[in-house]
Amino acid sequence: MSKSTLLITVAFIVSIGVSVFSVNTDTDYGALKKQLKVSHILHKPDKKLPDFALIDHNEQPYNNAHLKDQWTLLTFIYTHCPDVCPTVLMDMASIKMGLESAELKVIPELVAITFDPKRDTPKVLKTYVTHFDKDFIGISGDQAQIDQLIKPFGTYYERLIEVNGESIIIPNGTKLPEGVKNYSINHTAWMYLLSPDGQIFAGFPTPHKPNAIAKDIELIINNY
Amino acid sequence: MTIQNLFSLKYIAILFVSLVISNLTFAMEHNHSMHHQSTSLEVHNPWVRSAPPNAPMLGAFMQIKNNTNNTIKLLSAQAKGYQRVELHRTLNHGGMMKMLKQDFMPIEANNNLHLKPGSWHIMLIEPGSVPEEGDMVMIKLTFDNGFTQTIRAIVRKGKMMMNHHHAH
Repeated sequence: MSKSTLLITVAFIVSIGVSVFSVNTDTDYGALKKQLKVSHILHKPDKKLPDFALIDHNEQPYNNAHLKDQWTLLTFIYTHCPDVCPTVLMDMASIKMGLESAELKVIPELVAITFDPKRDTPKVLKTYVTHFDKDFIGISGDQAQIDQLIKPFGTYYERLIEVNGESIIIPNGTKLPEGVKNYSINHTAWMYLLSPDGQIFAGFPTPHKPNAIAKDIELIINNY
Repeated sequence: MTIQNLFSLKYIAILFVSLVISNLTFAMEHNHSMHHQSTSLEVHNPWVRSAPPNAPMLGAFMQIKNNTNNTIKLLSAQAKGYQRVELHRTLNHGGMMKMLKQDFMPIEANNNLHLKPGSWHIMLIEPGSVPEEGDMVMIKLTFDNGFTQTIRAIVRKGKMMMNHHHAH
């Protein structure tokens, strides 16, 4: 074997070794993590979303099966939110527009699940969320199911009622006192990207930078 | 076209339009209320964020400039066609977005208070009908120095406008 043939053979073997090595060791998406600017990888193969059965803004069932075989960009809102939620929904619409313009082959579905199904019926949500993007899907349903579903996302909310000029916090899972109609909600406002296996893949904390998030989503989808 | 280019173009376009609108709005406002406007306070770029037709709440934003040597407080805001108007501030407490009702908004001496999404804002509660993009919302501001001013806030999309002018 000549020297050059030996060198090429060695280089070939090394390159195969490197590629196999990198495939095998990157199941935690370490290389991807390094490239991401504004995302937290939340991918945990052994931690699955609980089964849930909610209802979409067309009054159709919405459950785990809907998250399968597609990418989903999801957040939690309430429509009586004057500041934070409209900003998040607008940012999500901007992200989708950015991904469409970048001609990404797979565009995540935009989903907003309400913290507040009592006031946010499917009909209310439909009018509200489609204002931001015609393809937005609003999700309502049973309060207890929603309270269960938010846990693996690390999302949290608490309601605030005003009694004699003082704000009182009603934690989630606790019923509102009888007769209380006006309340606001303190809440976390992350966006989440769910992968086609129907599981949480990444999260985007506030404040959101739509162009940076769009770039990260492009990287994630291309490297999944 | 890359995403970066697209967003840059979009923001340049939005910035340009907003500059034109803010100048127009300010010019109109200035002429409209010059006879009862003192130079102690100036309101710039007032706007209401366009919202879904069934939105129960709307946010109004602006910059208020205090040209005096004393802190001036914005005590209240009023707008016809809304059940209530309140002063609010959004705060990010370790990721928890909290909305806190304020008794007043302080505008520090020789400084600006920037009302913007994710921060100080005027909350327009339960509109009779939600205004559309391009509409004007009249908002009466009452300050603790006895000064009142009615401003015309344009309804538009957008956020984070004119951040580089933020001097608070």
